[in-house]
Amino acid sequence: MQDRYAYYPGCLASLSQKELDSSTRAIAKKLEIELVEMPSVTCCGAGDIHEAKPDYYLHISARILGQAEQMGCDTILTICNVCTLNLRQANKALQEDKAVLARVNDNLMQVGAATYQGGVDIRHLLWEVSAGEGYDRFKSIAVKSLEGLKVAPFYGCQILRPAKILGFEDSDRPQSLERLITACGAEPIDYPAKVKCCGFPIVLAREDVALGELVQPLQQAKEAGADVIVTPCPLCHLSLDAWQRKASAFAGNDFQIPILHLAQLLGAAAGISESELKFKRHVTRLTPEVKGKLKLPSVVGIEA
Amino acid sequence: MTEIKNAHFTTLKGAYDTEKMDATLRVRRYDPETKKSRFDTFTVTIPVTASVLDALDAIKDIHDGSLSYRKSCRMAVCGSCGMRVDGGAALACKTPMKKFVDAGHTITVSPMGNLPVIKDLVVDMAPFWQKIRAVKPYLDTLDVDVPAKEWRVAPEDGDLIHKESLCILCGCCVSECNSMESDPEFLGPAALAKAYRFIGDSRDKDTRERLRDLNGAHGIWDCTRCYFCNQRCPKHVDPRDAIAKLGAESFKEGFTRDEGAKHAKVFVDSTYKGGYLRETELVPKTIGPINAIKDIPFALQLARAGKIPNPLSPHKAKDNDEVKRLWKLLEKEAKGQPRRATAKHPDAVQGD
Repeated sequence: MQDRYAYYPGCLASLSQKELDSSTRAIAKKLEIELVEMPSVTCCGAGDIHEAKPDYYLHISARILGQAEQMGCDTILTICNVCTLNLRQANKALQEDKAVLARVNDNLMQVGAATYQGGVDIRHLLWEVSAGEGYDRFKSIAVKSLEGLKVAPFYGCQILRPAKILGFEDSDRPQSLERLITACGAEPIDYPAKVKCCGFPIVLAREDVALGELVQPLQQAKEAGADVIVTPCPLCHLSLDAWQRKASAFAGNDFQIPILHLAQLLGAAAGISESELKFKRHVTRLTPEVKGKLKLPSVVGIEA
Repeated sequence: MTEIKNAHFTTLKGAYDTEKMDATLRVRRYDPETKKSRFDTFTVTIPVTASVLDALDAIKDIHDGSLSYRKSCRMAVCGSCGMRVDGGAALACKTPMKKFVDAGHTITVSPMGNLPVIKDLVVDMAPFWQKIRAVKPYLDTLDVDVPAKEWRVAPEDGDLIHKESLCILCGCCVSECNSMESDPEFLGPAALAKAYRFIGDSRDKDTRERLRDLNGAHGIWDCTRCYFCNQRCPKHVDPRDAIAKLGAESFKEGFTRDEGAKHAKVFVDSTYKGGYLRETELVPKTIGPINAIKDIPFALQLARAGKIPNPLSPHKAKDNDEVKRLWKLLEKEAKGQPRRATAKHPDAVQGD
C-alpha cells in the first residue's frame, strides 16, 4: 500500500453508485491514504469502446495514464473491476510495444493532451487492502467485529480473468475477499458461483441471457445461508442489487439478499457512519437483522 | 502396486525407469445405460513426469478397463483430451500430476461443461462442431480469381490472425463459457475465434456476409466478457479478444444495429460528449425508447434509491475538448486507410 494514489473512481461510482465513492473516500481517510483527484479523465470504455473502437480506447487509456503521471502518481487506485481490467489491458499494450506508445503519444501531443511515459501501475482497492502493509493497516482500523454476519464473497470476472493481465491471485480459488471478511470478524460463505459472471455487460442487450447468469450467485449464496453478498465491482453490485427483483421473477425465487460494496463492508468494520456508507442508495434494502449484524445505528433517515 | 510389468508402463516409453509417485484421483463416472453418475477414487503408481492423462491410462490399464475418455496425440496438438481438472477445463495431457501429488491434493476429474456427457469423461462434441460449421470455417473468395499456383499471404497479414489460427478445437473455452450456460445456442468462443480467423484473413472476401450473420441473436453480442475462455484456452488463442475484434470489424463495416453494438456506441459517444458514461442514455439508446418505457416500473425502483443521475446536467470532465480532437484525428486517420492495413489483391503479393 502507498500513501498517495491517483484516484480513478470510474463512471458508476461517480453517478448511480455514489455510495461506493463516499464509502471509499471514508475508508481511505481511515487508512491514511491520500486520493488525488483526476478531474479530466474519461470513462475507461467498460470493454465496449475496446470492442467498438480499439484504437480510440488505447488513446483515451493512455490519456488517463498520462494524467496520473503528470500528477506525480505512479499508481492509480481503482474501485471497479471493469476499470481495472481495461486500464491494465491498455497499459500492457502500451508498455510492451514502444512503437505503439510512440504513435499514441504523437497523437496525444497533436491534440494538446498529456503524453504517457509508461510508468504507471493500476491497482484495485481489494488488492491494496487484502495483502501486505495495506492489510495490516486495515486490521488496525477494523475496530468493530461483525461477528455473526455471514458474507458471501462475489469477485466478478474482471478482477480475476484474464490472469495474465490481472494476476493478483489464483483466479479459480481466490482468497482475498475471504481474508478481508474474516478480518472484519464476519464469516465467509463459500459457493461455486463466486468467481462467475453477474451478466452485467449484456443485461441491457441480452437481458434473458444475463439473468440466467445472475441467478446463479444469488441462488447459491442464499442457499449457503449468506446474510449479504459483498463485491469489489460496482457493475456486479448494480446487477446483483438493482436487477435482483428481475432475477427473482426469472428464477421464481424471492432472493431478498442485500449486496454490499467492498468499501461498505470495510467501512462498517472500521466504524464509519451510515451517512458515509449510504446503504439507503441500494435497491435491495438492508433488513433490520443485517443492520444489527453490521453494528449500524438503528436510527433511520440520517443519510442523504 | 503389484510386481507385474504393468501394461500402462508400456504406454510410457522412456519413463519406465524414472522415479515413481503414488497419485490419487477422484473421477466422475457416468453410465449411459443406467443414466447414473458417481465418483470413483483411484490410486495409481506413476512416474513423477506423468500427466493427468497418463494417470487415467494407468487407471484404465490396472483398475477399471471400462473408464472412458478421449485421447490421441499426448502432446497438446490433437485437442482430444479436454476435461475438467478440479472444475477447470484443461488438456489432460498438458497437465502434470506432480504438483498435485506434492501438495497432497486429490484432484477431481470430470467431463467438460456446456456439452452433453456420453459416458464418463466423454462428451458429445456434435453441438460444438455444429457451431464451428455455422461460421463457415473455410476461405470464401467469392468471385476473386484464385491464383493458379499458390496464394501467398504477407507476414503482416498472417500476424493479424496468427493467434486464432492456433486453435486445436479442444472445446476447453466452451466448457466454462458463462453465456453459453445461459443461452446454449450462443455460438460461443471457439466458433467465434474461428470466424475471426477467416474474417481477418486477407484472402477471404466474404467479410460483410460473415459479419451480418454474427450480428444477431446468439452472435458476438451475447458474449458476457467473463474471460473464462481466455483463461482456459491451452493454446493461448484468447477467444474473447477475437470476439472483441469481430466487434471492431462490425463497426468498421457499419453493422451497428444489434442492441450490443448500440450499447457500445453509447460508451463511445459519452466519452466524446462529456468524458464519463451518460447512464441515462444507455437504456433508451440500447433497447429503444418503447422498450425503455415498458421498463418504467424498474426505472422507478432505481430512481427511489437515487440511482438515476439527472439527465439534464450530465457529468462533464475538464478539458474534454482534447478527447473530441483525439476522436476526430483518429477517425480521419482511419478513413485514409484500407480496411486491412496490408490487404492486397492476391496478384500483387504473388508477383513479389
